[in-house]
Amino acid sequence: MKVKDIEGVMRSKFPDAPLHMDESGLTGALWSMAVPISGIRDAAGAFDAAGFFLESITALDFEDTFELVYHFNCYEPMSRVVVRVLCGHGQVPPSICDIYRGAVWLEREVHDFFGIEFSGNPDMRPLLLPEDADYHPLRKTFGKVGAYHKREVIYG
Amino acid sequence: MSYLLSSEWSRLILGLLVAVGFSQLNALFLVWLERKIAGHIQLRPGPMEVGPHGLLQTIADAVKLMGKELILPLKADRKLFFVAPVLVFTPVLVGFLVLPFAKNMIIHDLNVGVLLIFAFSTFTVPAILSGGWASNNKYALLGAVRSVGQNVAYEIPLLLAAMSIVLMANSLSFSEIVHAQRRLWFIFVQPVAGIIYLISATAETNRAPFDIPEAESELVAGFHTEYSGMGFGLFFLAEYTNMFIVCAVATSLFFGGWTGPFGISLGIPGIVWFLFKTYVLIFHLMWVRWTFPRVRFDQLMNFAWKVMIPISLANFVVTAIVVKFV
Amino acid sequence: MAEQDTTRASQRVYTLNLGPQHPSTHGVLRVLLDLDGEYIVKADPVIGYGHRGHEKMGENRQYRQFLPNTSRMDYLSGMLFNHGFVLAVEKLAGIQVPERAKYIRVIASELNRISSHLLWFGTYLLDLGGFTPFLYAFDDREQILDILDSVSGSRLTYSYCRFGGVSRDIDSKFIDMTRAFLKRMEKRWADYDGLVTKNIIFIRRTRDVGVIDAELARRYGVTGPNLRACGVAFDVRRSEPYEVYDRFEFEVPTGSRGDALDRYSVRFMEMRQSCRIIAQALDHLPQGDFMAGKVPQKLAPPRGEVYSAFESARGLSAYYLVSDGGPGPYRCHIRVPSFGNLNVLNDVLPGTLVADAISILGSIDVVIPEIDR
Repeated sequence: MKVKDIEGVMRSKFPDAPLHMDESGLTGALWSMAVPISGIRDAAGAFDAAGFFLESITALDFEDTFELVYHFNCYEPMSRVVVRVLCGHGQVPPSICDIYRGAVWLEREVHDFFGIEFSGNPDMRPLLLPEDADYHPLRKTFGKVGAYHKREVIYG
Repeated sequence: MSYLLSSEWSRLILGLLVAVGFSQLNALFLVWLERKIAGHIQLRPGPMEVGPHGLLQTIADAVKLMGKELILPLKADRKLFFVAPVLVFTPVLVGFLVLPFAKNMIIHDLNVGVLLIFAFSTFTVPAILSGGWASNNKYALLGAVRSVGQNVAYEIPLLLAAMSIVLMANSLSFSEIVHAQRRLWFIFVQPVAGIIYLISATAETNRAPFDIPEAESELVAGFHTEYSGMGFGLFFLAEYTNMFIVCAVATSLFFGGWTGPFGISLGIPGIVWFLFKTYVLIFHLMWVRWTFPRVRFDQLMNFAWKVMIPISLANFVVTAIVVKFV
Repeated sequence: MAEQDTTRASQRVYTLNLGPQHPSTHGVLRVLLDLDGEYIVKADPVIGYGHRGHEKMGENRQYRQFLPNTSRMDYLSGMLFNHGFVLAVEKLAGIQVPERAKYIRVIASELNRISSHLLWFGTYLLDLGGFTPFLYAFDDREQILDILDSVSGSRLTYSYCRFGGVSRDIDSKFIDMTRAFLKRMEKRWADYDGLVTKNIIFIRRTRDVGVIDAELARRYGVTGPNLRACGVAFDVRRSEPYEVYDRFEFEVPTGSRGDALDRYSVRFMEMRQSCRIIAQALDHLPQGDFMAGKVPQKLAPPRGEVYSAFESARGLSAYYLVSDGGPGPYRCHIRVPSFGNLNVLNDVLPGTLVADAISILGSIDVVIPEIDR
């Protein structure tokens, strides 16, 4: 099973990174791993080599940090995997668009909504917002906001 | 009065007036017919509101078009822009002068009638090109360029098919060609030429499946994208008049013109036969339009140059050999 | 010599703007095409004209209040997106759904899938110049809309699926109408086959046009019928069965070449498989409640996150909800399939003719509001 193989690969690449198995099925993934910001390209390369596709890139805005959430999946049953990257406000994560072509647009969207710059992405024009937009709507400091927490409030 | 009618000139002028009047009425009728046929093929009734069964719909549309503002796009070539629709429509009217409506109802029985009609129908090519060019719009230009390519390519098999008939009847005059079919219509003798002519005619009039130049979904509206109001109306009018001419020519060349089948007229006057056959062919053109999707442009050109022209050329040569030696 | 050629080529290349107002871009899409004559050299889709901020709205609303938003993103698969959201929240809040409600939701979703494919079929043929199949497809789609209208009150954007079940039970009228519809479609497939699928002009316009190979699809995250046409049998209903899909027998149709004709055939076969699922669901419909017992009006699910994937008409869609224990989500992200499906055009369009661009765009079946959200 590809997802078992990639677990082994990721454990060996990032021996210190916490890996949570998800028994409940709530996260829709078998396991999720928190990867350091410098390691996301390695991780993406490993997934690409294993034949996974990039399902989605999104971000979460917390008081103390951003968190980038990468969902990888492959064409076998029940094979979704989550890679999480903590990225401080103002930090610039590397882009994975040369590994996954689809990441160009996904990263553009994250940049639109959160203002996270991705170094190495050749096209950082706004995707969904107008060309001259200088605001980042999904930040919790923009517009009407229900709640703004630190990360530990949700994930403990 | 009879002097007036017998004079060559007055006959011509009267004929032209009749032609203009007839073409307007014809276009009015054909637009309604097209919408009704489209509707019924698509499981719906078509226009029903204006007049009984929507008969007055076209008049309402024409009034609307005449009342619209004539928009001239920025940096468009003003003179060409307004001349183009007129140029598309007017030469086609000349064709009415030589069509054999009935035995004694040809306005001017030229002995080179076939040549005249095809010569004047070619006028649409530069007219469409000037309309597309003058619009200063990339879409319109693309549409116009495609139209030129398509018309030029399909004119050759059209002419070759017509020439096969001319060889058989040994004359370019319409009345003589019709007379030569009084026993048997040429469609039975020259089915290949007939089919080639009908396909080429569809392409010449820019009708689906060969309507790339006006492809609504691909180039917005092709060469007439920028036209509004009466300019658009004239293009529209020209298309339906062209359809009529082309089908009338097909009737005369292949389906016996004003003669009944196998020479039996059943007491029905010639003009009724002629119009009936023409409108059946027009119905066929409309039927084809609403049934098939569009042919892609390069496939269209390939089909013309690699299939239609060789076949029509072969047909022409065979006809020539048969006529000469048989 | 080569330098001369490139100079000539770069002077020949001109930019054509396809859209945003164009009869054939499905939704408000703008594609900046660099053309060399009739050949496309570069294609750059520009989107965002329909961005309404659904994800931000999600953060400012209670779960129940976000329910109507779900249908408005991909309005052609409104029931499917509604269903997916409800599944996600039920997972998060731990709500159990009665069996009958599950079957009803599957029937409604599959009907919606058929109606979405029918609309795609009609508009695709319209783009290609065949005006008539559009009306036939809409006639069929009208039956579905009437069926769903009778039970949910809406024709296009539904809030029929609710947390814990559905808003209203289906009655015998619904079942009769659905069965009549299935019977009617059996004859219709043959009609469409004869009129369209076997038409030589249609085949020439779609065979070997816009070939997406499986590797390219993987790099862009293409899912749904577009991916299945490349030969990859990936369907969320099979790989992560949700609701009661694991109880039904249905095939996942695939193509082999990844061209427009394959995408067309896959969608057609999918419609027939959906009919099969509906028939099985109707046959095995259990009695019982259509709504779970005690579902609070104001949900306050525990802290955590949920990622719930489902197969919409266009591919793998998912709701990613992060809850902080409050009445609404902390983050509400929707993964939409048209995102990747449109993105792949960056690599598929160059080298093709402009006339083919319309055919390819139509065969991909994108709904732009879904991308824009």
